[in-house]
Amino acid sequence: MSDWAGVFIFFAVAIVFGAGGIVTSFLIHPRRNNPVKLEEYECGLPTQGPTWVQFRTSYFLYALLFVIFDVETIYLYPWAVKFQSLGLFAFIEMIIFIFILIVGLWYAWKEGALEWK
Amino acid sequence: MPFDPSALTLEMLVAALGLGILVLGLIVPKGSRHGLGWLTLFGLLGILGVAVSMWGDSRELIGGMYLVDNYALFWKITFLLAAALVVLGSMRYVDDMGSQAEYYSMTVFAALGMMVMASAGDFITLYLGLELMTIAFIILVCFRKTDAKSVEAGMKYVLLAGMSSAVLLYGMSLLYGLTGSVIMLNVSQVIAVQPLTPALILAVVLLIAGLGFKISAVPFHMWSPDVYEGAPTPVTSFLAMGSKAASFAVLLRLFVTGLPGIWANWTMVVAILAAVTMIVGNLVAIPQTNVKRLLAYSSIAQAGYIMVGLITASEAGIKGVMFYAFLYVFATVGAFTVAGYFYSVTGSDELKDYAGLSQRSPLMAAVMLVALLSMAGIPPLAGFVGKFYLFKTIVDGYLWLAFIGLIMSMVSVYYYLRVALVMYRDEPLDPTPIKLPSPVAVTLILAMVVTMVVGIYPGPLSEVVNSAAHSFFLH
Repeated sequence: MSDWAGVFIFFAVAIVFGAGGIVTSFLIHPRRNNPVKLEEYECGLPTQGPTWVQFRTSYFLYALLFVIFDVETIYLYPWAVKFQSLGLFAFIEMIIFIFILIVGLWYAWKEGALEWK
Repeated sequence: MPFDPSALTLEMLVAALGLGILVLGLIVPKGSRHGLGWLTLFGLLGILGVAVSMWGDSRELIGGMYLVDNYALFWKITFLLAAALVVLGSMRYVDDMGSQAEYYSMTVFAALGMMVMASAGDFITLYLGLELMTIAFIILVCFRKTDAKSVEAGMKYVLLAGMSSAVLLYGMSLLYGLTGSVIMLNVSQVIAVQPLTPALILAVVLLIAGLGFKISAVPFHMWSPDVYEGAPTPVTSFLAMGSKAASFAVLLRLFVTGLPGIWANWTMVVAILAAVTMIVGNLVAIPQTNVKRLLAYSSIAQAGYIMVGLITASEAGIKGVMFYAFLYVFATVGAFTVAGYFYSVTGSDELKDYAGLSQRSPLMAAVMLVALLSMAGIPPLAGFVGKFYLFKTIVDGYLWLAFIGLIMSMVSVYYYLRVALVMYRDEPLDPTPIKLPSPVAVTLILAMVVTMVVGIYPGPLSEVVNSAAHSFFLH
């Protein structure tokens, strides 16, 4: 027998163990149904009122703004680590990059994305 | 080779213009943002001047990641012209819609994305340009926030553009895995000595599918009629010509520069795709009653014609693609500006409402007629010359495709002339004349004059395009 036979037997036993319980209970369980028992299984309480409601998109705007700083960090980190060898050109490039991001933030601020109304 | 930022002058200027307009929109009070359109227009025209002065510049940046040559420059000039025409023609429309700063800066950023695409020499740059363009277009497509149709169009565009980007990226990643490089010039060298493996075939199929979506080639076209119909009309025109032209620029670079050895095996696939695109686009356009939808299907058919130029992938083929794309910009701007202004006045895109347009506004009717006939390829208009250059390249070897193109052009005359018939023969329901504001009138006259002049006297443009197509093979 190869070394893998152990793995195979393990899986076979696991399947028999799992399926066996279900099959046995299906074969021998008493069949006495009532409406409550036949209800679909779902978590939580039955919904009240219409479920098609509108959600605030402010969360979404905050998430988008977060991405600005997220991306900024991704680029800033390697740049900061290698700052010594990159020199002035990379410094100016990074300033431009941050400037563009700041314009984005300014825009979002001015348009009221940061206000929770 | 040291990095020389001066090769990126155009891109930097366009980016500065886009940002500047956005910032100005924040500073200027709401009531007086009307001037932003003019500022955008003159900014674009100024950059266009710089672009023309850079003609003949030929460089490779960062080991071939960014290619600056006449080929890219010709496309950039085309995109800048297209953006300028769209801005000029849409000022009234945008003032009705509000949010001028966002609209103009997104238009400029979309143009920037296209310009990056035209110069891209590697997959990453290509993808960056493509996404910049696509994201700007997504915002533009759903610009009429209160209109359910526009929002639906935006939603469809987001989902399908995302899917096509994923497909394209997967193809690129496979190619990178096979060749170990993302730079097209290097990829072509590695591919040349490799056998055709199934993974390579898969990569090429995915690339064709991903870019086929952008040029709305059948069977990847299903998004375009809905998106074109729902988007604000000026955006539709920019989407129809700009996005398509940029994708063709990239297709040529990708397949002719990056995969030249393989391309020979794929011409049959492209020929069949082109044939199917022409047939489906033209036949489905026939029953349309909405002018924007009709133009959308016609633009699918136009993509089919342009694809013909990809087949030979020779200098003549590339010239055909560029020539046709350039003309198509003017024809599209003409047709869509009429449709857009007509919508501003009447609130309708339905063909039956165009009845008697020739009596209400002779100029609008005339421009629509010239644009449509040019798309159909009736001499002496520019579309005829463009189609001649395209189909001339495939007469040896793919004669059947040339025949399909010819037959489908005749079919297209039917539905184009139906529009003309409604405009010229029918009596108007509401005979009040339509007064054109001067920017719209200038756009329309420009579109019409260029379409006619290039048709009668194509020599100068043809020479410029020749030089651009020639520079394509110099790398």
